[in-house]
Amino acid sequence: MSSLSGFDELLVGFGQTLRQAGLSIGSDDILTFCSGVSHLDITDLMNVYWAGRATLVRRNDHVPIYNVIFQQYFLDIHETAVDERKRTLRASSTAGATLEIPNTEQGLPGEISPDEVKLGYLASTSEVHRLKAFADCSEEEIRRVRKLISRFRVTPPQRRTHRSTRSKKAARLDLRRMVRETMRNLGEPRALAFKKRKLKLRPLVFILDVSGSMADYSRNLLQFAYCARRANAKVDVFCFGTRLTRITRSLDRRNADEAMRLAGEAVLDWDGGTRIGDSLRQFTRESRRSRLGRGAIVVICSDGLDRGEPAALSDSMESLSRIAHRVIWVNPHKGDAVDFVPSSIGMIVADPYIDEVHSGHNLASLERLADRLAKVG
Amino acid sequence: MPFDQLTVPELTESLGEYKYIADRGLSTALLLALKLGKPLLLEGEVGVGKTELARTVSTMLGRELIRLQCYEGIDMHQALYEWDYARQMLFVRSLGSEEASDDQLFGPRFLLERPLLQAVRAGDQCVLLIDEVDRADDEFEAFLLELLGDYQVTIPEVGTIKAQSRPIVILTSNRTRELHDALKRRCLYTWIGFPESDREVEIVRSRLPEVGGALANQVVGAVNRLRAMDLEKLPGVAETIDWTESVSALGSNSLTAEIALDTLGAVVKDRDDLEYASRNIQDVIS
Repeated sequence: MSSLSGFDELLVGFGQTLRQAGLSIGSDDILTFCSGVSHLDITDLMNVYWAGRATLVRRNDHVPIYNVIFQQYFLDIHETAVDERKRTLRASSTAGATLEIPNTEQGLPGEISPDEVKLGYLASTSEVHRLKAFADCSEEEIRRVRKLISRFRVTPPQRRTHRSTRSKKAARLDLRRMVRETMRNLGEPRALAFKKRKLKLRPLVFILDVSGSMADYSRNLLQFAYCARRANAKVDVFCFGTRLTRITRSLDRRNADEAMRLAGEAVLDWDGGTRIGDSLRQFTRESRRSRLGRGAIVVICSDGLDRGEPAALSDSMESLSRIAHRVIWVNPHKGDAVDFVPSSIGMIVADPYIDEVHSGHNLASLERLADRLAKVG
Repeated sequence: MPFDQLTVPELTESLGEYKYIADRGLSTALLLALKLGKPLLLEGEVGVGKTELARTVSTMLGRELIRLQCYEGIDMHQALYEWDYARQMLFVRSLGSEEASDDQLFGPRFLLERPLLQAVRAGDQCVLLIDEVDRADDEFEAFLLELLGDYQVTIPEVGTIKAQSRPIVILTSNRTRELHDALKRRCLYTWIGFPESDREVEIVRSRLPEVGGALANQVVGAVNRLRAMDLEKLPGVAETIDWTESVSALGSNSLTAEIALDTLGAVVKDRDDLEYASRNIQDVIS
């Protein structure tokens, strides 16, 4: 390449500044940018702006950053936007250190079974005496917990795709393969070849209530979600109290304790009120934009004690039921009751849109849930 | 290069002649795509004219539009090529005891061309539209990379086919999922948002020249108020045009509450949204 002219140097410098600001820009992109600008009338700075927008920006949410850098670089305007960014960065790194799980709701109707308490303690890492309680678990209890986990690993839910693979069952003819084989046999078809649809993992979404009354139960399910995530990449986990937080990333750790700790840090409102409707609405909103939750099995863990508008909950449940493949609600108040009638307004309102209700109040129930998850796919 | 002399205002103007009102960002991106011979990736809300741009470009340049509609599970046999198995079978049978060679069977004679292969063969005689690429699986994106980067496709039995000249390639995505960076790298990127009111009126009037300016203004105003509401599905420009056309088809020159209620289905297409908008129809039209 010939030596750079002063103007090209300016453009390359701009690309590099953007790169420093966090946009992923390769040398080839800068090359495209320069050759793009060379096709335009460069006396008008707007041409340079739009050429850069088309060649260097790949995500709509990068546009504000691009705008700020462009102004700084070419117009020498320093706006407060950058300062704001710094501020939010600082805020997010200090806040959210509230890991302490509220140790509440001892007086739930019915007694809490020893199994459940132990499982809850297993999931927790923050307090020494909790670890000790886990150490006190009997062999039998530990064995059951492990069994539960391993079952999760082997049976993630699946769905059929449009793609096909070889099959032994006589269903759909695989003509492509038959032509090949016929050719090898001098035009004599020897056997029929069949194909079948391939199976693909079905996404699994956990939406866990972490407000005071539900925190301990959600911990159990969080442990669940962690195991599922280890076995099957298509698991997404959200927590909510007053608002929804995605904690999936925090679970990508080899060490389960570490993952639980990170997840705890990511959730900001462990001890706030409960706004199920608004939180679910946030979820369905998001899933309109992305594929989130589409065709998924959505597991909601909550007691249905909602401080928000019942109408908001019923609306968002309806949306959710249309997006998701199945909606499963885990409500510890159900207990072992077979003919469970929901009593909280939240549960009554959400009921028409729920496919299954589980209790998740003891190990046996969690095992049943794990079983069901594998089958409803 | 045929686009050497073209400038941004000229391109905007000639798009306008074909009733496509583009803003400066879009025109610049399109111009660069034409000049640099790169694919153009359009992302944006539903119904803001992403697909329409490809159509307009093809008519404007007098090129054939080759369209590949993506969907979940699309694979190379629907997108690139397929062998004509029935004819191959017959051919093999007709040879009798002779042995059929690969060359005979897997040659142009039995090759069914699908859109991508057609586009590579047509080169600069066509505009290739890869529509709603976000609906296809991730695997399909990887498969597009060769085409978008080098304008060539590989068929195992035949070899690599390279375009003699570069086709214009336009990809659209509704952003139902994030596209892979590798794909984006090979394209120029533009986000098309909802147009500003003035521009939207301009679009409506150029599409529906028989409609009065007052009605167009009114409808655009109403649609903008709908977009500001808490709806699940926001109406796009296509809906604005449909609504204006519906109102005008009923012989009305202005948007009254009554007419708006009757024709609301042209612009709001979700049952919940429809109920909500009908309840608040006064806020919408005033």
